[in-house]
Amino acid sequence: MALRTAVLRHVRIPVQTLTLNGSKQQLWSLRFMSSHDDHITKAEVIERVLSVVKSFPKVDPAEVTPEVHFQKDLGLDSLDNVEIVMALEEEFKLEIPDKEADKIDSCNLAIEYISNHPMAS
Amino acid sequence: MAFAARAVKVPPNSASLEEARCRVFDFFRTACRSIPSIIDIYNLDEVVTKSQLRSTIASEIRKNAHITNPKVIDMLLFKGTEELNNILEHAKQRHHMIGQYVVGREGLVHDRDPKDEGISSFLKNFYNSNYF
Repeated sequence: MALRTAVLRHVRIPVQTLTLNGSKQQLWSLRFMSSHDDHITKAEVIERVLSVVKSFPKVDPAEVTPEVHFQKDLGLDSLDNVEIVMALEEEFKLEIPDKEADKIDSCNLAIEYISNHPMAS
Repeated sequence: MAFAARAVKVPPNSASLEEARCRVFDFFRTACRSIPSIIDIYNLDEVVTKSQLRSTIASEIRKNAHITNPKVIDMLLFKGTEELNNILEHAKQRHHMIGQYVVGREGLVHDRDPKDEGISSFLKNFYNSNYF
């Protein structure tokens, strides 16, 4: 005990504030597991939506553009439409309510909906 | 007990074809959303992908696309829901799932080998199914 106090009396740790304000990068890594602050960019949404649509078996990948309408342009039926929306749900880890899901019938609307969705990742 | 109660619940008939259509889509969505747990339960991740299973479900539904009677659609939906519940309750085994939904009914014998192409159509039909 005496030794401990003797040692502690001689050890000095300089007082300093945590350097959180210095770098944004460090702050970001502290919130690594947080679901906030990691919104995906619209460009990324577009790219991933297009890759999901292109990988759909009945779709010719060459025809897919961000403006394409699933049923009118790609020749899909309503069930394929729902299937694509479910694939998008899986890709972006969302659960789209049925009413909203019914409205999504083109790449444009899907991109719009997902990029505005706070939980998309 | 819980699943018995769920299994016997019959929703009222669809009033119109449009309503039956919506119910089919709802069922399809429910089935798609339970795909991840199905893959977990039956360890299917090494033999099939989620999108393949989704396409299988869609093609099972599409088999009955010609039906226009709402009551018949309701009946098929009931059977589909029952099947989905059974699958989710682990009432099946892994080879049932693989046989029914991964390989498919004709997958094992359907023109896998070049020498199968010359096989008689009678034999092909025989392998495919009893139901004509």
